[in-house]
Amino acid sequence: MAGTKSQLPALRAQATTMLSRVAHSLYWMSRYIERAENTARLLEVNLQFLADYQTSPEAKLDQHWESLILSTGDEELFEKLYEAADSRTVTEFLAFDLKNPSSIMACVNAARENARMIRDQISVEMWEAINELHLFLKGRSTSAVWKDGPNEFFGSIKQASHLFQGLTASTFSRSEGWEFIEFGKFLERADKTTRILDVKYHILLPSATDVGGAIDTAQWQAVLRSASALEAYRRYYVREILAWKAAEFLIFSDSFPRSLHFCVAQVDDFLRRILGETGARPRTAAARASRRLLADLQSLAITDVLDQGLHEFLMATQTALETIGNEVVDTTMFYPTESAIEEQQQQQQQQS
Amino acid sequence: MHLRVHHRNTFSYAGKAHDSFNEVRLRPITDDTQRCHDFKLCLTPTATSREYGDFYGNTVHYFEVPDDHRKLVIEAVSTVETTPMAARPAVPRVPFEELERSPERDMLSEFYNSSHYVPLDVELWREAQDALAEGRSDVWGDVRRLGEHIYRRFAYRPKTTGVNTRATDVLKLRMGVCQDFAHVHLGLCRSMGIPARYVSGYFFNTTRRPRENEASHAWTEAWVPGYGWAAFDPTHDRVADERYVKIAVGRDYADIRPVNGTYRGAPTRSLKVDVSVREAPAGAMIA
Amino acid sequence: MSILNPHYDSGVFFDEMFAAGEPGGTRPHYTRLAERLGRLPVEEFDRRRTAVDSAFLRRGVTFTVYNDSQGTERIFPFDLIPRIIPGSEWRRIEAGLIQRLLALNLFLDDVYHGQKCLKDKIVPPALILGAKHFRREFMNFSVPRGIYVHICGSDLIRDAQGNYLVLEDNLRCPSGASYMIENRAAMRRAFPNLFQSYGVRPVETYGDDLLKALLHLAPGKDKPNVVLLTPGVFNSAYFEHCFLARQMGIPIVEGRDLVVRDAHVFMRTTAGLVPVDVIYRRIDDDFLDPTVFRGDSMLGVPGLVNAYRAGHVALANSIGTGVADDKVIYAYVPKLIKYYLGEEPLLPNVNTYLASEPLDRKFILENIEKLVVKSANEAGGYGMLIGPHSTKAECASFREQVAANPRNFIGQDPIQLSRSPTWCDGQLEGRHIDLRPYILYGEKITVTPGGLTRVALRKGSLVVNSSQGGGSKDTWVLHGDA
Repeated sequence: MAGTKSQLPALRAQATTMLSRVAHSLYWMSRYIERAENTARLLEVNLQFLADYQTSPEAKLDQHWESLILSTGDEELFEKLYEAADSRTVTEFLAFDLKNPSSIMACVNAARENARMIRDQISVEMWEAINELHLFLKGRSTSAVWKDGPNEFFGSIKQASHLFQGLTASTFSRSEGWEFIEFGKFLERADKTTRILDVKYHILLPSATDVGGAIDTAQWQAVLRSASALEAYRRYYVREILAWKAAEFLIFSDSFPRSLHFCVAQVDDFLRRILGETGARPRTAAARASRRLLADLQSLAITDVLDQGLHEFLMATQTALETIGNEVVDTTMFYPTESAIEEQQQQQQQQS
Repeated sequence: MHLRVHHRNTFSYAGKAHDSFNEVRLRPITDDTQRCHDFKLCLTPTATSREYGDFYGNTVHYFEVPDDHRKLVIEAVSTVETTPMAARPAVPRVPFEELERSPERDMLSEFYNSSHYVPLDVELWREAQDALAEGRSDVWGDVRRLGEHIYRRFAYRPKTTGVNTRATDVLKLRMGVCQDFAHVHLGLCRSMGIPARYVSGYFFNTTRRPRENEASHAWTEAWVPGYGWAAFDPTHDRVADERYVKIAVGRDYADIRPVNGTYRGAPTRSLKVDVSVREAPAGAMIA
Repeated sequence: MSILNPHYDSGVFFDEMFAAGEPGGTRPHYTRLAERLGRLPVEEFDRRRTAVDSAFLRRGVTFTVYNDSQGTERIFPFDLIPRIIPGSEWRRIEAGLIQRLLALNLFLDDVYHGQKCLKDKIVPPALILGAKHFRREFMNFSVPRGIYVHICGSDLIRDAQGNYLVLEDNLRCPSGASYMIENRAAMRRAFPNLFQSYGVRPVETYGDDLLKALLHLAPGKDKPNVVLLTPGVFNSAYFEHCFLARQMGIPIVEGRDLVVRDAHVFMRTTAGLVPVDVIYRRIDDDFLDPTVFRGDSMLGVPGLVNAYRAGHVALANSIGTGVADDKVIYAYVPKLIKYYLGEEPLLPNVNTYLASEPLDRKFILENIEKLVVKSANEAGGYGMLIGPHSTKAECASFREQVAANPRNFIGQDPIQLSRSPTWCDGQLEGRHIDLRPYILYGEKITVTPGGLTRVALRKGSLVVNSSQGGGSKDTWVLHGDA
């Protein structure tokens, strides 16, 4: 039929530019999914640990719950909302409580909201994966989780996150948006790995007889399992679990995809692409911070870290990661910096 | 009469303000009763202003202050020459029927219908009926009697009304300031079918005591066939003479807001307005 | 069994497809369709219908219905029987639409400059000066290229004799063009062979024509940046905004993505502030800029209106076009066509009585039971009386309202919209339809051959709105006449 094949002039108006809002929604969507997954990991493994040692008097169970909260950095909020840390309150707080902005539920909501804002920019499959996770969570509660067995619940969340990340890898174009997604994912994962390691620090140091004892080993096993690293660790070291070896693996491994070193290397790579940092000397504050952090992870030994203090090292790393995240957001976001909520409001002014 | 007007608006914010977009109507208009010889707008922080003429012939300046600031000062200085009363033609006595038949009446419809601050409520019509209880005279005579009515029956009380007070509210309160009286006067005139508009401006107070506050003023103009717009000040119950400097005209205050805008940032702010009107030597320019 | 209904009843209405006097009872431009449908078993038709519906859902061709805070998404029901318009008939419609849009633009230019039409008493000044959408802020402003309405969607209906009449003009942010294009894609999938032989003019040119019209507003720019400004994901037409932005290959932005610096508009991208030259805005005037219009609006861009005023950015459509599409001004459009163009209107209005005119008012008040009465500024069936379908009390109440505020009301003869065969509950039945063609004003005025045919799916209903049980059909404009 004549005329159907239109001979239209090529009129595409402009090269692809990515709106800051879209880039940042992709970044936060990705971060929040990763965060939800890691909180699920943290809870799952520690519940398992407690189930194993419920009858052991020296396990100091209540301290364990507290340490979980301490490692998330939200202890103040927790104390405000709950009286004591136990299996129920901690699960509620970390999984369902919307008053806790880092709870799994809150993270998934936030990821979904970000995805919704840019629905036209992501694949239908990605949207559906997030939406289904959201619906799954809406249908659960703390009591149901404990009744049906927490492993199935946390397993489902991990699976949903992996499904989302897999779908993203196979349906999202390798564009600037992709760089923001990956940057967000690895930045969040790096941060969470430091927190998983930090859980062990917050458990009051066991007495001398406990070091290397059954409980100490079980705790380190739990830490490794939190990061899905137990099998990888065993393949690598083939020996019994040693505290410093476990820490070394989770911090310095350059091949395990949840180790701090690996994640920071990815962060540095995507950050350089986002900011167009091609030269040998970084131009932006974000690139400087990430290069410095990566250099540390490439050059330090576990003994250096232990001399400095594991907890202090982890805290410093968390601060560096936060700086990197904020700097990248600021550099790619041409919004006036608005800190407080009231700042974002428009104000009317007129003469009275 | 040659007058020099300084008008300074100082907005102080309890915190940082930014992305401030503003429109100001501060340049006195030029018409048969006055000429604006010179005008200068100073902005702190410094900003470039652009201008346009609005529907009513007022000059609007607009500008933006994108960066953080804690204070915004908008200062307007103008020199205006007003026509002496002796040189102005007398307002003729025209019967109301002639106004109704006037060919221009159609084009003036927005000045005898409701506007934002002057909703034509039946209460306004009753008040006007009261004021003209002795019967209607001519258009200008009616306008003056309606103004006098306000002067006699309403109390001048600052701070009893606000920027959102409408003519119908003032009718209930029976008190207010010049802006409120102007709105009521518009309401009464319009209820009687007389086209009337709002005037914002300044009043050169020759009997001002030192340190006494000076402020912006507001009055009205009514349309008289064969003459045009005739100005009356209901706050002082008198014809607006050569001591009155007009900045802008419109249906009501909403059309002539001296400063109007939005910004982002600190929600709390205060505004200080300084006005001074002085007699200036003829031909003086702003330094 | 074929899907053609042997008991199909055209009733007293003008039927688009069937006519008693025609050979075989079918109008010539529908005969080949009738043959094809005659060979189509019901099961096969049903299969294709289901396939089209599920494709719409999968592709997300939806609109949002607000019945809870979340907003649910629905597909716009689609009927597989196309509405067909012969080529010569379309050329007359096209000429009429072009004439009308030219006159409306001249009218807007006059309203915002000399107001000659008011002084010459063509339109009563109070109707303009008192109109809700008259933007006195833009008096004496010269819009880029002198064009006020770049995108227009006029609603056409046909009377009992099949004459096309204009029911209303949409000069602000007319929507629905995306459905016109999606409907065509659906029909191509459902009946690929029929298209090959029928000679249907393409509607897919709309996206490029729209982009051309928008680029026309950025003269002298080497590579102008055009964006589509949406109120956001929660807007019921968000699907359409995304669709059109993708068709044109331009960014879709929200108010917060734009910023004004030194009266120039920029978008915030990861690479910095990028200048914006033309904005296809799908936000109403009131919400464009809180500095100038509604101060409580969070959708708009502070400073945008003055950037426009300074001539640094173009808006499509321009600000203040709503003054020309209210229901009272509508009644004056035939007069305006004569006044500005010196021509007789090619597309007539529905016969309209103005309550503001004493003789008309008398007629409306005496015949209110036989008329459709509409208030000037309300839309979507709000403030409307359909006399023949109303109670005595409703008529009495409107009679009072009209008498009290005549300037705000018009009366119209009720028109029995034409009907088209439509698949309803397993058989073909006649349903009322209208037509919204899309007219673009760039370097020249182009009318996309086709449009959105909306159909009232409920039996006897005249309401074609998607929110109230309306559906749509593909609209085929033929190269030839059959």
